[in-house]
Amino acid sequence: MINILQIELYKLFSSYRTYITFAITILLMLIVDLGLYSDGEEIFSYLIQPLNDNFYVEGNIINGYLIAYLALNTLWVHIPVLIIIVTTHIFSGEFELGTIRILLTQPISRSNLLTAKIISMIIYTICFMLIVAFFALVPSMIFFGTGDVLVFIDGVQFIQEATFLLRFFYAAVFAVLAMIAFSSMAMFFALWFKNTLTAILLSLGLLILFTLIQTFVLGIFSSWQPFLFTYHIAKWQLFFVDEIPFSTILNSAFFLFAMSVFFIGVSFLKFNKMNISE
Amino acid sequence: MQILKVENLSLQYGDQSILNNISFSIEKGQIIGLLGPNGAGKSSIIKILAGLVFSKTGKIYFKGSLQNKFSDLRKYCGYLIDSPSLYPYLTAKQNLNLIKNINKVDLNIDDLLIKVGLPDVSKKKVKHFSTGMKQRLAIAQALLRSPEILILDEPFNGLDPNGFQDVLNLLETLNNNGITIIISSHLLNELEQFAHSFILLHNGNIELEICKKTLINSKKRVAFTFENEPSNVVKEYITKISGSFTSDSKAIIRLKPNEIAEVVNTLVNLKSTPINVETLTILQEQYLEITA
Repeated sequence: MINILQIELYKLFSSYRTYITFAITILLMLIVDLGLYSDGEEIFSYLIQPLNDNFYVEGNIINGYLIAYLALNTLWVHIPVLIIIVTTHIFSGEFELGTIRILLTQPISRSNLLTAKIISMIIYTICFMLIVAFFALVPSMIFFGTGDVLVFIDGVQFIQEATFLLRFFYAAVFAVLAMIAFSSMAMFFALWFKNTLTAILLSLGLLILFTLIQTFVLGIFSSWQPFLFTYHIAKWQLFFVDEIPFSTILNSAFFLFAMSVFFIGVSFLKFNKMNISE
Repeated sequence: MQILKVENLSLQYGDQSILNNISFSIEKGQIIGLLGPNGAGKSSIIKILAGLVFSKTGKIYFKGSLQNKFSDLRKYCGYLIDSPSLYPYLTAKQNLNLIKNINKVDLNIDDLLIKVGLPDVSKKKVKHFSTGMKQRLAIAQALLRSPEILILDEPFNGLDPNGFQDVLNLLETLNNNGITIIISSHLLNELEQFAHSFILLHNGNIELEICKKTLINSKKRVAFTFENEPSNVVKEYITKISGSFTSDSKAIIRLKPNEIAEVVNTLVNLKSTPINVETLTILQEQYLEITA
């Protein structure tokens, strides 16, 4: 099992695709920094204009912590897109290259092979989120310094500087779980259709559709929200609410965990009975 | 010594029957040719033997011992299924190392590359390889576990004449070293020169199972073409030796190999020298019949 995992990781980290997604992420984080460095003051003075009637804001509202928080908003679409480009390829790439045949004709069990692939998918997702967290936080702290953070979630939230790093750490851990759940779904599509592009399109289609439904907070769609994975993925934001609602977050974490277990379980059933006839 | 025996192998996809109660056995050190047109069931047999496709019926014996599943055979076999399965972004050596590490075998990759005729390309990425080189590398992959049986599905596909000859020579060398080879192909003439016995498949059934010795000694279908309609004496002679005319100037006679020269001599003596003599083995004849 360990040797199969080593081989899967070797293939994963030998592929240009892996490093391209890392590079795009780093670029994305640096662009957020650069954008806010040049126009941040103007944007934020516009955003907090309504507050000026009731509050007196002292000091520089734009700091490294705020930018790190804003960078995490790429979790909505950008990060899932980049992650599944690689994670779907871990599975369907073998079918596209025909290499699934050479792997399955070795004296190893299909379950061991799929387990190794799932572990490598999780390792990639963790690496990716570590890069996101590092480049969201460190350059912005260097360029903008640190301070209290003002965020807009269910009204205005003031996050004290001393608590920010812990909240950021929690949000990043939650994001790893969310991205593993999303990748598990994409993996299932990749195994089902044996095609990377189809798996990516289907996963992104659902991401966009559910995000759209989620925006309708009233009407018939409102009752659907607890069943949408995007609703639960978005709960990382709650770590930046003054009093963190841990029970709500745990519910969502459980939903995402159950979603991962479901898609991984169905993928095992599918893969173990799959005829490789092409 | 019997190395492999397959009994009552069947396969169905929905209502479609792919293989119907196929049974055959293979002696150690032989080269077996699985022949047949597209859709005959050659690749399905090979994929079942490789554990890629599951069959609900049938038994498999390796050296007389019944295996629990067809996929248990993977321990003893090396495979090349369809086109070569290689990672294009890795070098030849890296590709082989991957499979070597899965199998935890102690084998010198450079020696293996020399063995398959790829000594100088170990550091070259596979995406830059020709079809023939990929095929040889895929055979090297199949040899990594030092298999007792090599199972190859259409290994000559896409090869130019030189590449074809290289792969053929390589397979003959491997066979001379004691490896049993099962090879599926639709290239009948080439396989006839090379294999020791043949299984001809059609619509999931075995149409003919014959060894090379029997094939060589069995009667052949010989077609004699004459310039003009032959004389009545010639016609009588051909009818007497169980021949028949398919047209005014073309006669078909079933003859053993040593009888062909004798018949030609008689025809020459009867002043009806054939302008063309075509021979078909029973295998070629049946193959042409089912592919017609």
